[in-house]
Amino acid sequence: MPDVPSPTVDEWRAALARFVTVIPHTRELGLEVVSVAPPTVTMCQPWRDDLLGDVERGLVHGGVLSLLLDTACGSAVLCGLPRPEVCPTLDLRVDHYRPAVAGKPIWVEARVLQVTASMVFTEGRVWQEPGCTVARGIGNFVRLGERNTPEGFAEALFEEVNHD
Amino acid sequence: MTEGFHDAAWLARTRAQGDVAAWLERLPYARHIGVTASPDAGGDGLVFRLEPHQHNIGNILLPALHGGVVAAFMETAGTLDLMLSAREPRLPRIVDFSIDYLRTARVVPTFARCRLLREGRRLANVQVTAWQESEDQPVATARLHLVLGVPEPSDA
Repeated sequence: MPDVPSPTVDEWRAALARFVTVIPHTRELGLEVVSVAPPTVTMCQPWRDDLLGDVERGLVHGGVLSLLLDTACGSAVLCGLPRPEVCPTLDLRVDHYRPAVAGKPIWVEARVLQVTASMVFTEGRVWQEPGCTVARGIGNFVRLGERNTPEGFAEALFEEVNHD
Repeated sequence: MTEGFHDAAWLARTRAQGDVAAWLERLPYARHIGVTASPDAGGDGLVFRLEPHQHNIGNILLPALHGGVVAAFMETAGTLDLMLSAREPRLPRIVDFSIDYLRTARVVPTFARCRLLREGRRLANVQVTAWQESEDQPVATARLHLVLGVPEPSDA
């Protein structure tokens, strides 16, 4: 077993903050990890103009919401397993309840609903104003298993944390 | 009146000219990830292209494109393809989106082609297939439902 017995919520937050910073696309966008309470993660995308899809009406590109849901659901998977494994997205479904609007941060929360031997089932929610859901996502992830997870994957997630 | 999607005359004109580039110019996030479109050499539709920008990477170990970026690319392709192939100028608004990831998307150019499976009076169903080296080995398939909005007539 790895040297990551039971990370605290602060260690998880630091580990996932590092995870989204290592991913070039989310680093570029400046996505922030707000809190982690396994198996739930909350992230916040600060406003920036290149998130727009409809400049005239000031609406966010729908694809940004898919991106945030995929990232948040995938991060929830990491902290929802007994120990982190590499889990590619099998499929993702996004329901657009209302458009997200320009100038405000975009929040996303995701959690693991069920873990089986081969799959991790997740769901996520996007909002800008509390209680006012912008989009809902369902993401299913494949467990490649410990054998197909690179050695040191779990340890690498917490590397910086443990060295603090 | 500013030119743009909500100007019915502008929308009709760019559509008649097949000027998808003018539409993409007005989609900052699609520009950010590097989406372009060109006429399909072997047919009458469009082939969309996603640039393999470094900032589109989601997995540095493989490396592979971010699944969410591939999703955003396919949503953009499906929406613009519908705007071009719909019976009349329409402003589609996405209702729901579903994507199946079939293979790892490597950091190379990605292409997409769309099929309008149903165009009703209010709703459309668009299927999108994305591939890299070979079209018969798709990296993902996606499906969009969109509401067809009617653009405002210009007040000019």
